[in-house]
Amino acid sequence: MAATLDLLRVRAVIRRQALSQLRAPQRWFDVLVWPMVDTVIWGSIGLFVDQQGGAGRAGAAYMLSGILLMHVMYQANVSMSCGFLDETWSRNLVNLMVSPLREVELLAGLMVVSAARLVAGLGMVALAAWVLFAFNVTTAGWGLIPVIAVLMFVGWTIALLVMALVLRFGNGAEILCWGLLLVIVALSGAFYPVHAMPGLLQPLGRLLPSTYAFEAARVLLDGKPMPWRLVAEGAAGVAVAVPLATAVLWRTLHLFRSRGYITRYS
Amino acid sequence: MSQARGSGGVPRSATADRAAPVRQTEPMAAARVLDARGLVKRYKRATAVAGVSLAVGAGERVALLGANGAGKTTTLLMLLGAIIPDAGSVTVLGHTLPGARSRALEGVGFAAGYLPLPDRLRVREVLAYFANLHGIAEPGPAIEVGLKRFRIAHLGDAMASELSSGQRTLVGIIKATLHRPRLLVLDEPTASLDPEVAHRVRMGLERTCEEDGSALLVTSHNMTDVERICERVVFLSHGLVVADGPPAAVASQFGRANLEEVFLHLASEETI
Repeated sequence: MAATLDLLRVRAVIRRQALSQLRAPQRWFDVLVWPMVDTVIWGSIGLFVDQQGGAGRAGAAYMLSGILLMHVMYQANVSMSCGFLDETWSRNLVNLMVSPLREVELLAGLMVVSAARLVAGLGMVALAAWVLFAFNVTTAGWGLIPVIAVLMFVGWTIALLVMALVLRFGNGAEILCWGLLLVIVALSGAFYPVHAMPGLLQPLGRLLPSTYAFEAARVLLDGKPMPWRLVAEGAAGVAVAVPLATAVLWRTLHLFRSRGYITRYS
Repeated sequence: MSQARGSGGVPRSATADRAAPVRQTEPMAAARVLDARGLVKRYKRATAVAGVSLAVGAGERVALLGANGAGKTTTLLMLLGAIIPDAGSVTVLGHTLPGARSRALEGVGFAAGYLPLPDRLRVREVLAYFANLHGIAEPGPAIEVGLKRFRIAHLGDAMASELSSGQRTLVGIIKATLHRPRLLVLDEPTASLDPEVAHRVRMGLERTCEEDGSALLVTSHNMTDVERICERVVFLSHGLVVADGPPAAVASQFGRANLEEVFLHLASEETI
C-alpha cells in the first residue's frame, strides 16, 4: 500500500460523491428524515418514562443525547459504506480498479464526504431535539466534541469492515452496513449504561470503544466534570480498532484481486 | 496441461502444436509499453489462463482474440492489475505490477463496451472525474476535443445513465483517451454497436492512436474491425497463446482465408 495521497484524485472522489449525494433524493432520507424520525421515537419514549416519575432522572435527555450520538456512528458508517457501495451498484468498481486511484485516496475522499454528511445529520437531530423537546444539545458542553470524534472513528471502523465483507462475499453482504451498526449500538449502551445489559453481554460491551464514549456523554449530561478517563479509554479503543479494520480490508482486497472477484462486477 | 516454450517465448499446448504460435513481430524490449510473461490464473473449477506471454510495443495496435472462455478478459484484468496472477509477471510502461500499479496506470487508458458509467453524473462530469484520476487538473479542453473526435459534443451535458449503449461506449472510450495514454486497452469496444457507431469508434480510435501515439490492445469478436484497426493479432485458446502475428500471416498459418475463419476454427474447440 502506498501511503502518499494525490490530492487531485482525492478531490475527484469528493466531487463525484458530493454530486451523487446531491442528485439522489433517497440519500437525503438518511441525512434529513431518518434523524428526525429517530428523534421523535426516542425523545417520546424518554418523555413518557419521565412522566411516569419512576426514573427520577432526565430520561428524555438521555434518550436524545443517545440518539444524537448514535447518529454520529450512523452517518459516519452509512455515508462511507454507501459511497463505496455506490461504486459496486453502478459497476464502476472495475473502472476505478484499473485507474491510478489508490485505495487510500478513495478512503480519504469517502471520509471527507462522510464527515460533511455527519455534520448535516447531527444538525438535523439537534434541531429536531430543540424544536420538538426543548432539548439543547450544547448543555453538555464542549466535552461532547472528543466524544463525537471517538464515535466517528467507530463509524468509520464499521464502514471499513463492511467494505471488506462486500469485497469478500459480494453485494449480498451490504445488509451488514446497517446490521453491524445496530449490533454495535446495542452492545455499546447508547441509551443505557452497560450494567443495565444482560450479564453475558456486558464483557462484549466493555470491549467496544463506543461504550466509553456513550458513558462519557451521560456523565457530561449529569453536569459532572469532563470524564477524561472514559474518553481516553474510547480513544485507545479506536487506536486499536481502526488499524485492525484497515488491515482486514487490505487483506481482503488482496484476496479480492488474487481470486479474481472483480469479474463479479465486469 | 503440458507446455513447452515456442521460439518467441510463448508457451505451447497441444492446440498450439497444430498451429505453432511463432512470434513474428516481437517489439524491442526498450520500446515495449507492456511486457507480460508466463501469466497463469486458476479459478476454483477451471484454469482461465494457462501461461500467456504478451508484449506490446510503443504505438503498436494489437488484438487479443479468442472465443468466449478463452481467457481474454482475465488476461486483460491481470495486465491492468485488477487480478493478481498465480504465476508470471506484468510490466507496464516500465513499472512492475502489482507494486507500482498506480504509477503504471497513469499512462494507461481502459474502456469496456459492457461497463456502465458512474451513476448520477453528467457526461462532462464523468470525463472530468476520470481525467482528474489520471492527473489532469484542468480537463475542459481535452474533454471538448474528445467529444468532438467521437462526434458526441451534443451529449456533454446529458446524464450518463440516460445514454444509449452506443453513446455510452463512445463516452467510455473518450474517458480512456483523455490523458493521451501510451497504452490504450479496450475490451469489446464495438460489441452490440450498430454499424455506424462501430465505424465511428474505429475512426476515432485510429485518429487517437495516430495523433497521440498510443499503443492499442483490444479484444473483439468482430474480425472485420480487427483487420481494419490492428497490425497484429494474438489468438488465445484454452488460456494459451496459439497464434501471434500479422492478421494475414495468422490466417495462412491456420490455412484459412481470413481471421473470421481462424476464429470459427478455434471457437469450435473451445468449451464454454
